[in-house]
Amino acid sequence: MSHMIKHDVPDDNEIHIEKKFVPKDLDIDKDVSWAQINKDVLRSLDRPRPIFWVIFFAAMALFSFGVYCEKYQYDNGLGVADLNNPQVWGLYIATFIFWIGMGHSGTLLSALLHIIHADWRKPIYRYAEAMTTFSLLTAALFVLIHLGRVWQFYYVVAYPNERWVWPNFSSPLVWDATAIGTYLTSSLLFLYTGMVPDLAICRDNATGARKKLYTFMSLGWQGTDRQWATFRVTYMTLACFLMPLAVSVHSIVSTDFAVSQNPGWHITSFPPYFVAGALYSGCSVIITLFILLRYVFRFEAYMTMPILNKLIKMTFAIAMVWNYLNLIEYSTVWYGANEIAKQQLLDKMTGTYAPVFWGMVFCSTVMPFTLLIKFVRTHLPTLMVVSIILNFGMWLERIQIITPTFGHSQYPWTWTSGWWPSWVQFGIVAGSFGWFTMLFMLYCKIFPTISMYEVKEMVHDQSKMLKAKGVA
Amino acid sequence: MKSYLLALYNNMEEAGLVLDELNNTKLPGFSMKDVVIKSPIEHPELSEKLGKRPVYVQLFTLVGVLFGPITGLTLVASAQASFIYQIRGGRPVVPIPPDMVLTYEFFILSGVLMTVIGCFIGWKLPGNRSPLYNTRVSEDKIGILVKAEDTSIPVINEIFKKHHSLEILGEEKK
Amino acid sequence: MSLNNLIKNWTSFRSRRPYLDQYKNADYKWAMVIDLDACTGCNACTTACYAENNLPVVGKERYEKGHAMHWLRIERYWGEGESVPVDMVPDRGAQFLPMMCQQCEAAPCEVVCPVGATHHSADGLNTQVYNRCVGSRYCSANCPYKVRYFNWWQYADTAWPNPLELQLNPDVSVRSKGVMEKCTFCVQRLRESMDHAKTDGRLVRDGEVTTACAQACPTSAITFGNLANPQSQVAKKWKNQQIALEKDEQKKDENLRGYRIFEEFRTYPSVVYLERVRDLEA
Repeated sequence: MSHMIKHDVPDDNEIHIEKKFVPKDLDIDKDVSWAQINKDVLRSLDRPRPIFWVIFFAAMALFSFGVYCEKYQYDNGLGVADLNNPQVWGLYIATFIFWIGMGHSGTLLSALLHIIHADWRKPIYRYAEAMTTFSLLTAALFVLIHLGRVWQFYYVVAYPNERWVWPNFSSPLVWDATAIGTYLTSSLLFLYTGMVPDLAICRDNATGARKKLYTFMSLGWQGTDRQWATFRVTYMTLACFLMPLAVSVHSIVSTDFAVSQNPGWHITSFPPYFVAGALYSGCSVIITLFILLRYVFRFEAYMTMPILNKLIKMTFAIAMVWNYLNLIEYSTVWYGANEIAKQQLLDKMTGTYAPVFWGMVFCSTVMPFTLLIKFVRTHLPTLMVVSIILNFGMWLERIQIITPTFGHSQYPWTWTSGWWPSWVQFGIVAGSFGWFTMLFMLYCKIFPTISMYEVKEMVHDQSKMLKAKGVA
Repeated sequence: MKSYLLALYNNMEEAGLVLDELNNTKLPGFSMKDVVIKSPIEHPELSEKLGKRPVYVQLFTLVGVLFGPITGLTLVASAQASFIYQIRGGRPVVPIPPDMVLTYEFFILSGVLMTVIGCFIGWKLPGNRSPLYNTRVSEDKIGILVKAEDTSIPVINEIFKKHHSLEILGEEKK
Repeated sequence: MSLNNLIKNWTSFRSRRPYLDQYKNADYKWAMVIDLDACTGCNACTTACYAENNLPVVGKERYEKGHAMHWLRIERYWGEGESVPVDMVPDRGAQFLPMMCQQCEAAPCEVVCPVGATHHSADGLNTQVYNRCVGSRYCSANCPYKVRYFNWWQYADTAWPNPLELQLNPDVSVRSKGVMEKCTFCVQRLRESMDHAKTDGRLVRDGEVTTACAQACPTSAITFGNLANPQSQVAKKWKNQQIALEKDEQKKDENLRGYRIFEEFRTYPSVVYLERVRDLEA
């Protein structure tokens, strides 16, 4: 579309105008053609290189080990996880919160930025949404894994039965099940609906079995004006539903703790604190995946540095929100009258789990400040390490929410120290990473990770804007 | 007897000119209602030339957001009320605050589901295959599909060609 | 059907518990009084509980991992006395506290169970339905007393090797792995005596039924009975100690020893402890 912005104006004038009106850095190269976008993105769906299979089978091996651990636990009881009487939840619930938290930024990036028309989301929201869906699927696994009688998990679901027995709707766990079910359904539909035009592109360029799959999934999309108009309304409506939904889901997860009486959990600021933490860890994963996809699929033209820069700014802002809420939580406990909670806080900072606590402080409070350094923002390998450290810090955060509270709750007789998860717990946690990696890798090779039609829109809008300003 | 004709254009400006000309041409057995644009991206400026084509998705959403919370709250509250003696934690049998949480989730779930259903109905999908399609439409070309009486087809064909159409499908069908 | 229930009984569904004179017209409200002054920490109650309720003995290794199943545990605290090095125990100053499920009227565990496996019965017991339990352990997480015990292993396989299974109480189920359990106030005994009384067309008389721990206590430190019957031992002791079930803060005379643990959490426990009196000069 480059020819559109060439006009018969004197050169010096054009330079002057560009200085005055054109933004310093465009999010995406304005000269990239629509056909090129199709070609570049579809190339990522080509037959994978051998290294793909190496990583895939490594992830599968990790997952298989997790399955083995789960089977071992299923057969022998939860005792093999070394959970015990005060420490009833351990890594399972901590990692559950971790995964479900990761699943929030995809929605933020996609829905919120769509609502406020922040166009830089367009090349990167698709994989973020896929990540949301898969991390929700992973989180749902942990709900099952931590149950003592996983074979009876359907008791939590409100299904009609002849005995008129229902779940306890007052329990935050039932809210969890409802909220996660809603969120999984909605974010899957959001991902799918937003992908239909792209699936049509895949359909038009595929052969064989893939053609059948894409033909089925694209539902016969032809890009007619009526379809686009319906699509626009639908997508905006879904975004408006998804944004508050995402906030509600992690708030509800936080009520698992905030509704209970335990010191360190019974805190009013938990819902916003959890939401901020969720967005924080999710954004750092989005950065990690951004760098990986950009490198693996040669998406330099679409996942550009200006977009990454905006992403980093957003992550930093959210990190600061999270830090603020963290500080508020501790200081209200510290200056509050609840002696038990205060003791618990002290124990958290100085007791057995002090390394976890201070590790979190280092990874999630100190490390985000390195994002202020230009070298970190622009040197991708460094940035990737930093983003992984941030995320690791958020995992530690979830552990230090759960474990120290059990170790030091109201009743002094049950105070324990030195509790540590067994290899079964670590194995299942590792397996969950394998499961997520497997799903995400398969996704990347079956569905386009960049929204082609929206990048086209972006290029089109940018040309239009440049043209309008250039003429003016 | 009506036939279809699909022309491909390089960019929106050319397609816009074609639509203008079609708008100003009076032909027997042809109206702007029979014109469909097929394009790789949204094109509000082109759609305007087609006249008002309302979208009904919002109605489905409205039904969803009304139906969801009412049904959800009724189901939850009546399920709780079927346990008369099961007092839990000293709380009322039908406690309002937890039910609000669930009602909110039902509100969103039902809203989302109805919106998506409304969208599929609006798309007339799955299986809405209009007779003429070119895969280049999903790449970078703008397609204009016209349905008209056979006698008018040659005239439209001429209009298409006049504006530098890259390709016209359906010519041989007349 | 349930909607009819909802409309008809709306006010009773909306009431919070416990309220004043809640059990005034009820037949039963089981409660307990434990006199810590009489408790010698002999663990007879714990042993009796193990025998009565089919509790598995888990062995040293699992005990150290925190997998013990003692529904009723004797906690040992050191009160005022001479201070000694950490690895030694003082000669005197030990006090004991038998701790079991407090059968709270507003139990924190009941609210959070996702499947409603634990709920309140009409006679004021905090019940646990093993068949319904999915093992989320949320009840244990939310219990301030931490008196709920989870079946971390399939204890039934190992705890009673042949012929020890013959010692199992046939009135009590043997729990499988993955379910939560806790003190029931020996509900199997209560149900039996209530059934007998019903056959005779009367209420259970005071002293007719008692829990295994109360029965086994050599110093009679544990008193168990029906709080809804004002003539019962338990009701008299509660009254003498000026403790009301529905209050979360007891206004009472200074020299009284009765208290309930963690009243400030508004759990309204059914167990009253009588504080130990110590003669520091002796």
